[in-house]
Amino acid sequence: MAFQFEPTVVIETIPMLMRGLKLTLQITVGGIFFGFLLGSGAGLLKISRNFFIRKIAGIYIESIRGTPMLVQAMFLYYGVPMAVGIRIPPITAGIIIIAVNSGAYIAEIVRGAVQSINPGQMEAGRSIGLTHTQTMLHIIWPQALKRMIPPLGNQFIISLKDTSLLMVIGVGELMRTGQEITAVNFRAFEVYMAVALVYLVLTISISRAMLYVEKRLSTNKG
Amino acid sequence: MIQIENLHKSFGSLEVIKGVDLHVKTGEVVCIIGPSGSGKSTVLRCINRLEKPTSGRIIVDGHDIMAKATNINTVRAEAGMVFQQFNLFPHMTVLENVTLGPIKVRSMAKKESQTFGLSLLDKVGLIEKADAFPEQLSGGQKQRVAIARSLALQPKVILFDEPTSALDPELVGEVLEVMKQLAHEGMTMVVVTHEMGFAREVADRVIFIDQGKIQEQGPPDQFFTNPKNERLKEFLGMVISHI
Repeated sequence: MAFQFEPTVVIETIPMLMRGLKLTLQITVGGIFFGFLLGSGAGLLKISRNFFIRKIAGIYIESIRGTPMLVQAMFLYYGVPMAVGIRIPPITAGIIIIAVNSGAYIAEIVRGAVQSINPGQMEAGRSIGLTHTQTMLHIIWPQALKRMIPPLGNQFIISLKDTSLLMVIGVGELMRTGQEITAVNFRAFEVYMAVALVYLVLTISISRAMLYVEKRLSTNKG
Repeated sequence: MIQIENLHKSFGSLEVIKGVDLHVKTGEVVCIIGPSGSGKSTVLRCINRLEKPTSGRIIVDGHDIMAKATNINTVRAEAGMVFQQFNLFPHMTVLENVTLGPIKVRSMAKKESQTFGLSLLDKVGLIEKADAFPEQLSGGQKQRVAIARSLALQPKVILFDEPTSALDPELVGEVLEVMKQLAHEGMTMVVVTHEMGFAREVADRVIFIDQGKIQEQGPPDQFFTNPKNERLKEFLGMVISHI
């Protein structure tokens, strides 16, 4: 029997996917939020004047970037509880994984942006009597943040798509919901097409939003 | 105001300052000239410890800048600096550039700092640019804002690191005018410069640094008309033949 595309299945599936979408969004927003905090911290530690602090940040960044997120997810969700004896709820685990994973990449974005600011800015800040921290806060960081926007947008999109890997630890996010629907109706073509469409809408929204932020900041000069 | 004793500074194995002694009195205008790479900017940058001296002693307004007990930020607020590349804060308006120091370092109220900042911008002739951003200004205007920014801390001395070297020739005059005005008001100034005309007219003392050492110094009349050091003669000959 020849394959017959059923467009109505795509339409019917989308409302069912909304349940998964909610989780995907929760994990993405939570993961990116904490990932940004973690990444900002690690990025700044990476350029610390203290050798050991730089090393610690470096080990974090290298070990996360150097291992697949799928392995990190399995390790945190199945491995760590065996050693520690505490089971982490899947959604919390998902947020932690996205945060820790994106944090490593964001750290490099932050480091690059901060180091790209002309050293004269730090000297000018210090020359009027500001402390290192004050100069970082009022002079370097606002300028660096602006330069981070495009690569951050990129990372946010990657993190959003990476939440689909969390299906392996039983998080009922978008991808897993799609899989569950397929298990019932066997319409893999239509269902995964619908899943893909939802991801596409989300990623396009993120890139538009980042473009908007970028434009707003550039009319503010600097 | 400033006492430098036996200052040495090395970058790695390269010694760029090889024992400089320099005393600057309150109200004195000292111009430092010399060829590129002679170490003149490094001496200036050691005064507020933007470069850490390798050895020697520097006392600024009674504070030993190398002493552990000295809060370098306090010293820097008393010793303003104007850079060759202006280094204005591009994300802030002209007025915000000027008021940041008073607000954060001097704990001045915002309102008060704005009134004060505007008076300083007026002094450098840029009050109408208060709300502009640095990128909307010409080089000469940027440098005048930078001067206002350092004045905002009410420093006891201002260090000028080749303040006109990055400017188009027609913009040099407006910056030198502001500096002249400051000199006349009695500001203590140490100016690293290639502007021989300015040094001649405004300086109380001119210093020639070459190969990491002070080779000659004196009042401008004597310094320019009757230089003794061979290297200085050669240097002045080269600089002046270009004018």
